[in-house]
Amino acid sequence: MTGAQGRRFELRAHTADVAVAATGETLEDVFAAVADGLAAASCDDIPDGVGERETLSVTAESREALLFDYLDELIYLRDVRVALPVDHRVDSIERPDGERESESEWSLEASARNVPLTEVDAREVKAVTYSEMRLERVGGEDERTAADGDESDDGGWEAYVVFDV
Amino acid sequence: MSNPTFDADGITLEQVREYVWEVPQEGDMRVPARVLASEALLEEISEDKTLEQITNTTHLPGITNYAICMPDGHQGYGFPVGGVGALDAENGCISPGAVGYDINCGVRMMRTNLTYDELQGREEELVDSLFANVPSGLGGGGIVESGVDTVDEILERGVDWALEHGHAVEEDLLHCEDEGMREGADADKISQKAKDRGKNQIGSLGSGNHFLEVQRVTDVFDDEVGEAFGLEEDQIVVLIHCGSRGLGHQTCNDYLRKIEQQHQGLLNQLPDKELAAAPAGSQLAEDYYAAMNAAINFAWVNRQLIMHRTRQVFERVFDRSWEDMEMELLYDVAHNIAKKETHTVEGKERELYVHRKGATRAFPAGHPEVPKAYRDVGQPVIIPGSMGAGNYVLRGGENSMDLTFGSTAHGAGRLMSRTQAKDEYWGGDVQQELEEQDQIYVKAQSGATVAEEAPGVYKDVDEVVRVSDELGIGDKVARTFPVCNIKG
Repeated sequence: MTGAQGRRFELRAHTADVAVAATGETLEDVFAAVADGLAAASCDDIPDGVGERETLSVTAESREALLFDYLDELIYLRDVRVALPVDHRVDSIERPDGERESESEWSLEASARNVPLTEVDAREVKAVTYSEMRLERVGGEDERTAADGDESDDGGWEAYVVFDV
Repeated sequence: MSNPTFDADGITLEQVREYVWEVPQEGDMRVPARVLASEALLEEISEDKTLEQITNTTHLPGITNYAICMPDGHQGYGFPVGGVGALDAENGCISPGAVGYDINCGVRMMRTNLTYDELQGREEELVDSLFANVPSGLGGGGIVESGVDTVDEILERGVDWALEHGHAVEEDLLHCEDEGMREGADADKISQKAKDRGKNQIGSLGSGNHFLEVQRVTDVFDDEVGEAFGLEEDQIVVLIHCGSRGLGHQTCNDYLRKIEQQHQGLLNQLPDKELAAAPAGSQLAEDYYAAMNAAINFAWVNRQLIMHRTRQVFERVFDRSWEDMEMELLYDVAHNIAKKETHTVEGKERELYVHRKGATRAFPAGHPEVPKAYRDVGQPVIIPGSMGAGNYVLRGGENSMDLTFGSTAHGAGRLMSRTQAKDEYWGGDVQQELEEQDQIYVKAQSGATVAEEAPGVYKDVDEVVRVSDELGIGDKVARTFPVCNIKG
């Protein structure tokens, strides 16, 4: 288990691919923990202090789709910027209020430090998959309320994501 | 007397004939699932989620006869690796998840007239030169780095584009499936994001299990077919394994998400979201098929550029022209693909989207889609093993159309996870051992990749090929052994 305060991830065995199991105190934490797991699956030794931090925004129609699109965007950005995104921060995740068209989607604001691929011994993670994906609230009563869309963060969050390698 | 059975963690398989095991149809399964394996391979196959995944595959609408797991099958995502599913092209569906992220990941083999004797002593020079000249790993660029206009041309024209730009000769096209160009490819169906990822990766290996390997032919089991394939003992050949890179990966995800948004009803019927499929005849099914065909062309060009660059490296190392060394494409096979094919089902001809994910087309002698050069003997099938084991060349077997919709295995199949492999092996040790014990020279961008691809993480390729041969779906023709290997 590795991770910043309030979040942790672990790389799990998968015959052909790599899976990341992550936990976080908040939804933002668990998203960032999965992203850190993706970085760890790509590179064993991530250097400190190298690379500029850049922001990204993602929108999607559901919480799970937002996680999928966030991770997909990180892999896309890695290829086009030729830099490995690491040290992930998810600053905010907004749920839709359903009143206006522009706010009918989930949205996320995040940032990552982009380490040029020339600076690291990294290997390719091809894609995020939906296979066996889990994103759920854990802990007592909160599991029930999470299913109803309650966004209070008392119980913490768990995620499990398989990446194609 | 009832048939023998095999129990695997809640799934019971019945043996219907030697090497053919069946999960009977029950519940929401539309057809039975079949596993083609010896008991030893079935033991290995049952250790992860392969059986659950092949059973899940039987839920896809329009699946015909049975979902089939090849002898090298192992757990993937959604559809197992080593899976074959033929889905009705009129009333069924097409599944991007069942094709996989690396659209037209595949292998090609190039012959030479060099012998192992001529190469010995120059392995290090050759492996160094190949490593320096063939882009590999993450962010290593491509042989051609271009704008999106070039990508569009490649997507629609395939290897014909490479021919026009001096990266191929006419003969290369004649020894590739569909002559290196899928009809019906539409570059407009590939997203800008996918093109942005692909434009700097044209002619690159990538990483993971992809590699370029110089090999020597150690055995020719069938002299007549070996001669037709131009293979003889002690000959040097080159094997190239890679796919459509970021362009293909992005295309798969783009369409998975579109299916999620447009065909939720069908998606809700499936036990794994990664099996997401577009109903046959829908606009999205047509769009995906056109996009997949375009990504297939991109992958063919990728392997073609690497092969042509390899010819140039050999010219420098051996100081002879590549034509003089008779460096000719033997064949190129796709491992991750769905193709509209006509198959006879219960006496009637039907159009099916045959999904092969980690499986190889293996059409027998006489089939009109086998290139003319090989039509009398059957389609070449190339089966890479691991770095330390043999590789095989097979030919499509005469039972393949009846048993597997014209398909066989695609490799040794993984046995051990990448995380476990890194705990058990260290890249430097693996490299040294291969060089000292087997005279195999390996060069990689990442030591971790070498550890993850250590020979011990794979199944026994000999057993996989034996089962394919015994079933008559892919017959043994020749065996090759690695000499030099470069990877990401």
